[in-house]
Amino acid sequence: MPNIDEVKKRLTDKFKGDITNIDQPVNNRLFVDIKKDKVKEISNEVIAMGGRYLVSVGYDRLAEEGVLGLIHTFSLDKDSIMMALRTSTPENEPIESITPDIPNAGWSEREYMDLLGMKFKNHPKPKRLIVADDWPADVYPLRKDVPWNLMPPPAENVAYELDKCPEGCTVVPVGPYHPTLHEPAHFSVFVDGETIKGADYRGFMTHRGIEKLCQTQLTYNEIPFVAERICGICGSVHATSYSQAVEQAAGLKISRRAEYIRTIMLEIERVHSHLLWLGIAGHLIGFDTVFMQSWRVREPIMWLGERLTGNRKTYGMIVVGGVRRDITPELKEDILNVINKIEEELLVVKNAVIGDTAIHKRTKGVGRITKEETIKWSLVGPVARARGVDIDARRDNPYAAYDEMKFDVPVFDDCDVWATVLVRIIETFEAIKIIRQCLDKMPNDGPVLTEYLDPLAPGKHGLTCVEAPRGEVVHYLITGKENSPERWRVRAPTYPNLQGVPLMLLNDQFADLPIIIGSIDPCFSCTDRVDVINIKSGEVQKMNRHELEEMSRKYKK
Amino acid sequence: MLSNISKKVFTKSLWVYHCNSGACNGCDIEILNVLTPYYDVERFGIKLVASPRHADVMLISGGVTRPTLPIVKKAYDAMPNPKLVFGIGSCATGGGCWFDCYNVTGGAEKAVPVNYFVPGCPPRPEAIIYAVALALGLVDKNVAPVDVKQMELPIDMYERNKAWEERNAIYELLKD
Repeated sequence: MPNIDEVKKRLTDKFKGDITNIDQPVNNRLFVDIKKDKVKEISNEVIAMGGRYLVSVGYDRLAEEGVLGLIHTFSLDKDSIMMALRTSTPENEPIESITPDIPNAGWSEREYMDLLGMKFKNHPKPKRLIVADDWPADVYPLRKDVPWNLMPPPAENVAYELDKCPEGCTVVPVGPYHPTLHEPAHFSVFVDGETIKGADYRGFMTHRGIEKLCQTQLTYNEIPFVAERICGICGSVHATSYSQAVEQAAGLKISRRAEYIRTIMLEIERVHSHLLWLGIAGHLIGFDTVFMQSWRVREPIMWLGERLTGNRKTYGMIVVGGVRRDITPELKEDILNVINKIEEELLVVKNAVIGDTAIHKRTKGVGRITKEETIKWSLVGPVARARGVDIDARRDNPYAAYDEMKFDVPVFDDCDVWATVLVRIIETFEAIKIIRQCLDKMPNDGPVLTEYLDPLAPGKHGLTCVEAPRGEVVHYLITGKENSPERWRVRAPTYPNLQGVPLMLLNDQFADLPIIIGSIDPCFSCTDRVDVINIKSGEVQKMNRHELEEMSRKYKK
Repeated sequence: MLSNISKKVFTKSLWVYHCNSGACNGCDIEILNVLTPYYDVERFGIKLVASPRHADVMLISGGVTRPTLPIVKKAYDAMPNPKLVFGIGSCATGGGCWFDCYNVTGGAEKAVPVNYFVPGCPPRPEAIIYAVALALGLVDKNVAPVDVKQMELPIDMYERNKAWEERNAIYELLKD
């Protein structure tokens, strides 16, 4: 098991001239400055050391240094190290794409083609990803000279060019508004009979430009509240992750009690989110009793959230430096009562779900991908744990009070949707266990909100992760001038997981599409920000409506 | 007035179509929540349907983003007349905290004509049920009347400060 010094030594030995600087601000974070022609080799070396690709961060330094910055981040789960490879490139020079070797980087790189105008060499699919179809091609919203409220006039007759359908297959368009997906996203599914042979995805329809807004208009203390509104289901996760990134960049140590309260809020959110997912999953396979029952079990936790924080959801509890409210002894009693009741009722629901043969038939063997593919595509969260990949940010990169908690990480080798159901049910019980431990051990060591009065120095980097109910959330923060961040990058767990969906869909029945997409617990508002697997290459025959009508009449006769 | 018309027009069960035009999921889970046993809107005959073609009412959640703007309009056109539109949540009401971002066109009224707004971030399930019941004329509007007073200019700052001091004097007395 290499420790951080061995990682440093191995990199410097192999790439002596290409590494310009290694920075280690805290014990388990490594920021490595590299030359841009070796990005691919060094990234592959980190992957060979057991690294898992997280996300890429692009930022604009054109005004200051005349370059665009690019950061690839990795996590070495077994060694509890998170590292970032930082490089930069002049505006017009392309940079080597790492997507051919690390497929999950595909979206990140496409994102910076759209938002920053970066150029990548050898990218397998250099298509538009984030901005709207009618967005002008030479306006890059994340650049500093573009204002946050720029509104180019809408254009007519522009459409995203979806991938070509393989020969012998038929295209089934799903969405943007579709009965099973409550958020807008367009899937173009290629089917051969009833069997899915590939899919293309055009999403990012709820992209609201939060990163740009926060970088230009808001200050450090205001951002946690906007960060909560990235996602209405796992809001505290984003606020915690952002706050931790600021604290890491500033070197601020918050009180232990605040960390315990953060842990409680995160686990309360996990209980609510997993119960919500269980209901939605039941709804997707047409088993509405599960939906009704698990949402009935879940409702007291919404009321509890209101008593603890003042709002049913979007708590506004977590701020930079700690939390906003303390947990009083009365509230502690209240939390215990609620989670005891939920545990009791959930046990009944669990036994009903696990013993139900209808659910077995709809989920077992559906959405299969192997463990190797899961690792290759860097999938996270319950989706990865259901495929035998033993990762959990709470255990691997402990934050808040998780280093003192005892809990199990459920891992299954079934590699299908059924295993994700099991993982989520068991995690709910584990979350209840963690809340109990937190309430038991919670120390009383000072104020829940630690003040930090010095101005934050610009140019500091922070990289944190938090295990959300759907997987791992990664936030990267670069501090800037005037009390607001220069760059703040959010990676939600659906971002990597959605890229793996076409693999899961491959060779499954079309009727299983909702539950397979549902099994990753998609949260498009977080992500918004599937690619394709072409099995056979072929020309698509373009037809207009008139031709289609003609054809349908012909075949009817 | 609108609820009087609604009473005559929507005499049977309401079918509701839920359209996420760029929300954060917070409003969406509260909309789904009103179907579940604790709130159970089906007792009023309200049912969530999957297609706008089956719906009487459209619930829009979230500020309308640039890519969804034409799609929301299409979904609205697909609904048969007569129809009602609700904007659910702060973002649908006025665009929320990102009303002027580069990829957001604004609140729901930028895309389609909206009859009722339910503010809140997210609105409580009770508020959503109340809004639908209000639209149907099942309940009366229950808000404090707003009096608009003409401000007298110039404002007598001295009088106001004096009144404030007198108010505080009561607290000073209570302390002793």
